[in-house]
Amino acid sequence: MDFELTSEHLMLKESAASFVKKEHSFERLRKLHNDPLGYTDDVYKKMAELGWMSLIYPEEYGGLGLDFSFALGLLEEFGRGLLPEPWLSTVMLGGNLVLMGGSESQKEEILPEIASGDLKMTAAYLEDDGMYELNFCSVSATKNGEGFSISGKKIFVLDGCSADKFIVTTRTSGSVTDKEGITLFIVPRDAAGLEIKPVKTMDGRNACMLEFKDVSVPESAMLGELDHGLPVFSEVMDQATAAICAEMVGGMSAAIDITCEYISERVQFGKAIGTFQALQHKAADMFIQKELSASAMYYAFASIEEKTEDRAMAVSVAKAKCSAAYLDVTKTAFQLCGAIAFTREADIGFFLMRAEVAGILFGDTDYHLDRYATLKGY
Amino acid sequence: MQVSYSQDEQKFRDEVRAWLKENTPDEIIAQTLGGSTLDPELQKKYHKILAEKGWIGPAFPKELGGAGFGEMEQFIFNYEYSVSGAPRLKTQLMSVGMIGPLLLQFGTKEQQERFIPDMLSGETIWCQGFSEPNAGSDLASLKTKAELDGDELVLYGQKTWISIADHADWMFTLVRTDSSGRKQQGITFLLVDLKSPGVTVRPIEALTDHAPFCEIFFDNVRVPVANIVGKMHDGWNIAKALMQHERLNAFPIGELVYAVETVRKNAEKTKFRGKPLIEDPVFRRKYSLLEIDCQALLDTFFMLISQLKTGTAPGPQTSFLKVYGGELYQRVMDLDHEAIGSYGMSWYNEEFGNDVHQATMGMINSRSLTIWGGSSEIQRTIIATQVLNLPRK
Ligand SMILES: Cc1cc2nc3c(=O)[nH]c(=O)nc-3n(C[C@H](O)[C@H](O)[C@H](O)COP(=O)(O)OP(=O)(O)OC[C@H]3O[C@@H](n4cnc5c(N)ncnc54)[C@H](O)[C@@H]3O)c2cc1C
Repeated sequence: MDFELTSEHLMLKESAASFVKKEHSFERLRKLHNDPLGYTDDVYKKMAELGWMSLIYPEEYGGLGLDFSFALGLLEEFGRGLLPEPWLSTVMLGGNLVLMGGSESQKEEILPEIASGDLKMTAAYLEDDGMYELNFCSVSATKNGEGFSISGKKIFVLDGCSADKFIVTTRTSGSVTDKEGITLFIVPRDAAGLEIKPVKTMDGRNACMLEFKDVSVPESAMLGELDHGLPVFSEVMDQATAAICAEMVGGMSAAIDITCEYISERVQFGKAIGTFQALQHKAADMFIQKELSASAMYYAFASIEEKTEDRAMAVSVAKAKCSAAYLDVTKTAFQLCGAIAFTREADIGFFLMRAEVAGILFGDTDYHLDRYATLKGY
Repeated sequence: MQVSYSQDEQKFRDEVRAWLKENTPDEIIAQTLGGSTLDPELQKKYHKILAEKGWIGPAFPKELGGAGFGEMEQFIFNYEYSVSGAPRLKTQLMSVGMIGPLLLQFGTKEQQERFIPDMLSGETIWCQGFSEPNAGSDLASLKTKAELDGDELVLYGQKTWISIADHADWMFTLVRTDSSGRKQQGITFLLVDLKSPGVTVRPIEALTDHAPFCEIFFDNVRVPVANIVGKMHDGWNIAKALMQHERLNAFPIGELVYAVETVRKNAEKTKFRGKPLIEDPVFRRKYSLLEIDCQALLDTFFMLISQLKTGTAPGPQTSFLKVYGGELYQRVMDLDHEAIGSYGMSWYNEEFGNDVHQATMGMINSRSLTIWGGSSEIQRTIIATQVLNLPRK
């Protein structure tokens, strides 16, 4: 058992920290918050130049070939600064699905393009009646001559406004909640019959609603095997979920720092309000929540890296914890800072808005509690 | 003891219900739940409808344009009003809700006749200018200075976080007229015409785009001494009385009940494993806990109203309404946010409709309920020291 980051891990984390500091600021976030995309391509490209798009992909596909745990430090720093660039969707969802489930030719075609920053991808899996369940899939793909025809709706596709390609979960057999009978397809943004409705999310980033109206895809667009898409998809979702937990822990740390700094300086009744025990205890609770979240997140990363049997469970522990804690920490931050928190001038508000989105992405606390119970077998 | 309304009370309730149903325009129902903006024109229109019926000021005497309701009728009216989904009107929030009752209690006859009819008719909109950059919870440390010059006070200084100041015509405020004694002494309660020369109102950009609050700067603003409420230097006592009004009115219990019902409606629409979320055993329990807590708070209001009927004034123990009610409202909005599933990520996407908008905005905006009008920390200290008589040091 060893949760320590190596000096290589720490070096990457530090370079991520200085990148975020140099290329990003809360001022930039304020400007981007009402922008339809919520990020800029120049910063995304710079991230690609540093090799961060292909951090964990093998060298043969243009990647750096680093262990999964290297993503941890990177994400913590993205989370601290609330960097909005669509790294997670492209690297952890889109690219990772190709890496883990794709054919050799799909990998050769797609991964180098992701690595260079020229291609962005995401996954479309949420549906209106399924809440966060991965196997709830009604979007149908039916055999149509040489290929397939896809119909139905997906909602809240992460970074859907900027993705060039979507990996879509479709129903090819069985009933709507069956775990078998789900097939993955890669669908380009400009596919005929695909309607894309942009959506703004509370954290200032973007998503989209997708409506497939008899979208034709060739057989070569299938990712992995017919009817057996769910295992790969779940595995990738687990990795993405661990990843967002790392980001959330970074966000919690920053929110705590900002709050503690503020209450140390803000004077009421002739004293810094941070001297009041009522606030000190709340600050201490924020810290406790963050620590537990961080440990659960580290455990999840280590489990994924080691491919332990219980890794899915470890991920649910981490996400259940992080979703609840991030909201708790940021709400408490509001209480401690007072009216200033409600302004755009203050940075702290952006953390609550991110906590609300990140808390929901890849399943909220209740979803992961339920999933944990199922995985545990009770 | 009796749990049901009397026959007269029932009759009154039915009348109020029927009238509200008939006369509240559909486009304003449920529009202010998350504290979000309701078109000022619509607000004014509805204000007029209520004013014409004579129901805009339940607690005000008829001679001044009020409804002249007794305590129980006021409670029934306010309750029915909010559970019907009728909006919290900015045109009456600070006037009918705060400064109006205070003028009835402490104002001169001239002040009552001059200001109350206009606030009830909707002619003038009021805002509350208490807070300053360095006087939040520690309100008594306020520094905005007012110097006596003949029969006028001359104001210098700054107020901040003033809700709806950008729509308001008048502001009630606290200014320092003497700084020689304790900080609670030498404060004067003053009514200021915001059109006076030297007043600058600057909106502050808020996190959600709803009702931004403003900063107000005074540079050499002349206010007649006739606009002082109560006595010069005695404003703190008046402000304290206002806080009592604020505490009771800051919590329209009916609005809470309405919000709880909204959660249920959302959870009926949202599907979990293909079935309505409200049927999920876990969600049901979380939801019924809110209903139960809300009912207990409602019961507490009944207790309080009963006491009012017998003429016992509510004391510092009402602090707990503010703490508990505010925190409960936050829990309601939190569950409302959960109840809409992925739509909880939405930010101003009109196509998702009002329920999503309210749930997402409400989650953020409800955070302010435990901060303004005396924060939860301050209120708990009041309960500990003034109700439980725990030692202060
Ligand atoms: C949405 C919104 C609308 C508002 N509208 C108005 C308005 O219309 N008019 C107006 O005048 N003001 C308004 N306010 C301001 C409001 O009255 C103040 O926010 C409130 O008085 C708290 O002051 P503060 O924000 O400066 O916080 P602070 O006083 O700095 O408090 C910050 C934190 O310190 C805690 N704290 C402070 N003192 C103590 C203590 N002694 N012991 C323990 N904890 C303590 C508080 O509880 C809080 O958690 C509004 C505020 C908000 C958020």
